[in-house]
Amino acid sequence: MTETATDPLSRDRSSPPVAAPRPAFRGLRRLVSWDGPMPWLAPLIALLIVFTIYPLFYNIWLSFHEYAPFKRRLEYVGFQNWATLWEDARFWGSLSVTFTYFVVVLAIEVVLGMMIALLLDSDEPGFGVLRALLTLTLVIPPAITGMMFLLIQDPEFGVLTYVLEGIGVLDGQSPILATSSTALLGVMLADVWQWTPFMVLIFLAGLRSLPQEPYEAAMLDGASALQTFQRITLPLMSKVIAVAVLIRGIDVFRMFDYVFVMTSGGPGTSTYVLSLYAWQQTFSFIKWGYGATLSLVSLAIILVIANLFIKLAKVRW
Amino acid sequence: MIVQSKAQRRVRVVTAWAVVAVFVFPLYYWITTAFKNAKEIFNLPPNVWTFEPTFRNFEEVFGISLGFFRQQEVLPGGGNFYMAPRLWDSIVVAGGSTAFAVAVATLAAYSLSRMEFKGRHAFVSWVLSTRMMPPVAVAIPLFFIYKDVGLMDSYLGIILIHTVMNLPLAVLLLKSFFDDIPKEIDESALIDGASRWRIFWRVVLPMAKGGIAATAVLCFIFSWTEFIFVLTLTQTGLKTVPVVSSSFVTSTGTAWGNMAALGVAAMVPAFIFILLVQKQLVRGLTLGSLKQ
Repeated sequence: MTETATDPLSRDRSSPPVAAPRPAFRGLRRLVSWDGPMPWLAPLIALLIVFTIYPLFYNIWLSFHEYAPFKRRLEYVGFQNWATLWEDARFWGSLSVTFTYFVVVLAIEVVLGMMIALLLDSDEPGFGVLRALLTLTLVIPPAITGMMFLLIQDPEFGVLTYVLEGIGVLDGQSPILATSSTALLGVMLADVWQWTPFMVLIFLAGLRSLPQEPYEAAMLDGASALQTFQRITLPLMSKVIAVAVLIRGIDVFRMFDYVFVMTSGGPGTSTYVLSLYAWQQTFSFIKWGYGATLSLVSLAIILVIANLFIKLAKVRW
Repeated sequence: MIVQSKAQRRVRVVTAWAVVAVFVFPLYYWITTAFKNAKEIFNLPPNVWTFEPTFRNFEEVFGISLGFFRQQEVLPGGGNFYMAPRLWDSIVVAGGSTAFAVAVATLAAYSLSRMEFKGRHAFVSWVLSTRMMPPVAVAIPLFFIYKDVGLMDSYLGIILIHTVMNLPLAVLLLKSFFDDIPKEIDESALIDGASRWRIFWRVVLPMAKGGIAATAVLCFIFSWTEFIFVLTLTQTGLKTVPVVSSSFVTSTGTAWGNMAALGVAAMVPAFIFILLVQKQLVRGLTLGSLKQ
């Protein structure tokens, strides 16, 4: 007892410094050492694997199965879901709605955002307050924004409906969100309202950090405002615009909240975006496999477009 | 930049205020709706400026006079409008996921900012690509996975998925803040014999305090406003404010006043937070790729 208590100390002192570990262990030790990246990244990697990679494979597995209502279980159906996809007019319809929404909303937000940013790019007193006011829309839950626009576009007492009927744009017979031709516009309005300020703030930060010399030179040369914008501002801002378009584009493409709250895809299928169609197939129509298939398509499209854009626009992190 | 006459400047100021007013109007209308009674909400022409402010909507939704604890009454339409517990659910979920995301992301961001290793660039791209996944493509399989492992309807389940949702933002943003701190500081400390962990904990973290706070605020806001994961992964248990707002649509019509009151309660904390991080906002919104 007393021997063992004193022994290790004395032995430690007499023994040579720790022997070099065998090669296999040296690799392991480097892996778990705080001097290497592994322990720092391990929690991140673990979470991403469990919550993105595993669900991805689960989804792929699911897309080869379908729920059989009478047997109350999933059955293997091979490529049937993928074949259905090809012939499903509603899928192609939802794809076209998604792309329409994507292109129109993104274009409006970029152009309008740039115009407002140019307008606010000034040191006038009070413009700081204006910028701060614009940031407020960014933090409203999109589902609540949907409700806000449901209220102001209400066919009976909505304030927007009232104004548009007053100036003769609406005839009072076709409510904005309940008419196939205008429902998507009504949804877009909510998106444009909430996210144009996102573009404004990013563009504004870009504009404020531009060098002054090219502008002085342009002024000496007597360039017009439009020329200056086209030849100097746009090229200098290209990186800023690319980043803003990329981040916003990803979110516009996978938009779900507004349509879910405002129209549930209707009237008819006029606001059926791909995300909503996939979600409804899974949870409203209990087509688990088909819903998974649709969501995989949406994932594939977004990854291809975004990565292509990153390559072409040379966006870097 | 371009010299303007006095008249031009005045036009610019007026236009700017007018444009911002257009953007603020829906918000103004929603907030005032929360203080209107039903008759004023359904009035035609719409009551924009003149109404008698009332706290009735807030009272019904939160039971303020009863100290947030008891349900007032079941309202016409039969919906359960008592929302104080939902506010609590939102706070727990947003707070918990923010803490997790920031903890995991600071570790990862430090090594991505400071260490050279094979595949670092590819790793950053992978993290970024998880930001591109449509939530629906994650929510559908997670619904079945959560059912199997019993995470359905649980705080932990929602906190975890919100953490993962915020990780790309948090990692990339924190990396950009760490990149701002000169590497020489680390290197000289390493030569002095300090360990990596000690440098991280004692030197880099305190210097990046502002950036970490900004990251935390943005994570909180994104969790606070998230919709589809909570919608999909909860059934009868917890529900956050955005998801529960649709329960005001009842068989006898929509309780706009109550819904607006809940909406206002959900916005106020987010408004305060966003005004706190104005300086880092653009960097945050662009995942650290643009500096203000």
